[in-house]
Amino acid sequence: MSQENEDIYTRIVRDYLKGKREDQLYLAQQLGKWLLSRNISPEEVTDMHANVLEHLGDVPEFIQDSFQILTEIMIEYGNAYRSFDSWRSRHQQLQAEIAIATAMQQTLLPETLPQYPNVDIGMISIPAKEMSGDFYHFLCESKSEFTVAIADITGKGIPAAMCMSMLRYAMDSLGEMKLAPGNMLRHLNSVVERNIDPCMFVTMQFGRYNTAQHVFRYATAGQEPGFLYRARENRFFDLEGCGTALGIAAGSEYEEREIYLEPGDFLILLTDGVTERKIGRYYIQREELVSLLEEETSASAQEMANHLYRRLLLLSQFELPDDYTMIVLRRT
Amino acid sequence: MELMIRENSQDGQHLLYLEGEIDAYTVSKLRDLLLCLVNRPEVKRVAVDLSAVEYIDSTGIGTFVAAMKACKQTGCELAVQNLSPRVERLFRITGLYERMVPHKGESE
Amino acid sequence: MTGLHSYNITIYSEADIVTARQIGRNLSKNLGFGTIMQSRIATTISELARNIFLYAGHGNVLIEPLEEGERVGLRIIASDSGPGIEDVRKALEDGYSTSGALGAGLPGVKRMMDEFSLESSPGEGTQVVVIKWR
Repeated sequence: MSQENEDIYTRIVRDYLKGKREDQLYLAQQLGKWLLSRNISPEEVTDMHANVLEHLGDVPEFIQDSFQILTEIMIEYGNAYRSFDSWRSRHQQLQAEIAIATAMQQTLLPETLPQYPNVDIGMISIPAKEMSGDFYHFLCESKSEFTVAIADITGKGIPAAMCMSMLRYAMDSLGEMKLAPGNMLRHLNSVVERNIDPCMFVTMQFGRYNTAQHVFRYATAGQEPGFLYRARENRFFDLEGCGTALGIAAGSEYEEREIYLEPGDFLILLTDGVTERKIGRYYIQREELVSLLEEETSASAQEMANHLYRRLLLLSQFELPDDYTMIVLRRT
Repeated sequence: MELMIRENSQDGQHLLYLEGEIDAYTVSKLRDLLLCLVNRPEVKRVAVDLSAVEYIDSTGIGTFVAAMKACKQTGCELAVQNLSPRVERLFRITGLYERMVPHKGESE
Repeated sequence: MTGLHSYNITIYSEADIVTARQIGRNLSKNLGFGTIMQSRIATTISELARNIFLYAGHGNVLIEPLEEGERVGLRIIASDSGPGIEDVRKALEDGYSTSGALGAGLPGVKRMMDEFSLESSPGEGTQVVVIKWR
């Protein structure tokens, strides 16, 4: 095999020395690719070149000897190349594992949105990388009530995804108890606080929507405030709330707030991937976000979520550095 | 973006002066230093000046959370000071502000 | 029989690393290894001896010709009583030890040689045995 390589190499050198044409160099480039595909190391190429020179005529001793230096150096390059190669295969293996984990993560997130008369629900959640640190959850509790949670786990990727499964299971087991929002967060905080890495935490907004009375009662744990739109005034308000993020301090308490929605009013719950958008050198302000939303007030909940995502993506030149999640709840 | 850390210490009181951005890429430097300091028995108080920090993300906040938790064990006092409006907002939203910013008249 | 004998080089200084390289190169040449393999063997000896020199202070490199029926080869045994390697599996992972750290170059050595074994316990030292067959 190496004799075959050497023969081709000799021919290419010989031809080039006669013609000195670009097409011969092009051929040499192709040979380079071929040698690479056969895992021929740089030191072997060096050696081939030295051998070819001897075939072509008398090689001065100093040139022959100088190849020793080149060989020593090329061995280092060769080792670096081969270690890169093993990195590459390890990378592929990791990618495959992440793909499986990503699919598993999807099962933690709801596939369908609750369906209730007079409530239009829209949602978009896009991870920045393969795995998301944004979490959302819906639970239809009765004919008239459902709960909604939106959360952001510190960091992204695998650690966040692992924390998410804990969050989901905790919510599932607490869900049956139909806890008031403040109580729900209090229980979740104690689970997260005991089980999370000390430098991680979770921000969450959790609420219950009563579709008969159109009352939304919610509590907040360190979450970026969403928006409330009042159709009658055609104005946006911050969906305020205060409460320490989950996992920071044991025994945190969470204050509940209540909002009555009139026809046409809507709520927007979001993660900081929506608000913390960098456009060029500056961060988009909440007021700018509001002015983008103002153009969407007549769209359906899902259209609104989709449109805003596209508008922001365009503004930030298609960069999505953070996981992005937005939920729209509109009383029709 | 870089994160630069300058350190002053006197009688077990440490002042860290941070400059730059605290994000997933720069945070490990701060985490190592901060956790090492608050775990040392002779260190009584660590104050972190954030006046020259324009941006901090949730992993940065997480580092302060971890340091705060370590302080609960060791009894060291941890405080942040001179927060820019953006940074202050994040500390307030997550509920860290009242836990880590000394009330006026208390110290400093 | 190859008629060649083995060499034991004590590593105390960089000059000793050079001596070991030279002996390894000559021996591999006499055993009939090609020029590239001679250089790879020298590089291997270099890496092993440097790890001894940098992290254990001193130690030994034994270079010996091997003959097993028709097969001819070369064995290098590098041993020291230095600090040892905490996590051998990690040290052999590519990219774990950056150049300059203990164990740097070991993945490369492992790849260049046909047989490789490493025994190390923290505080007691390290022994690396490699074989290259012709």
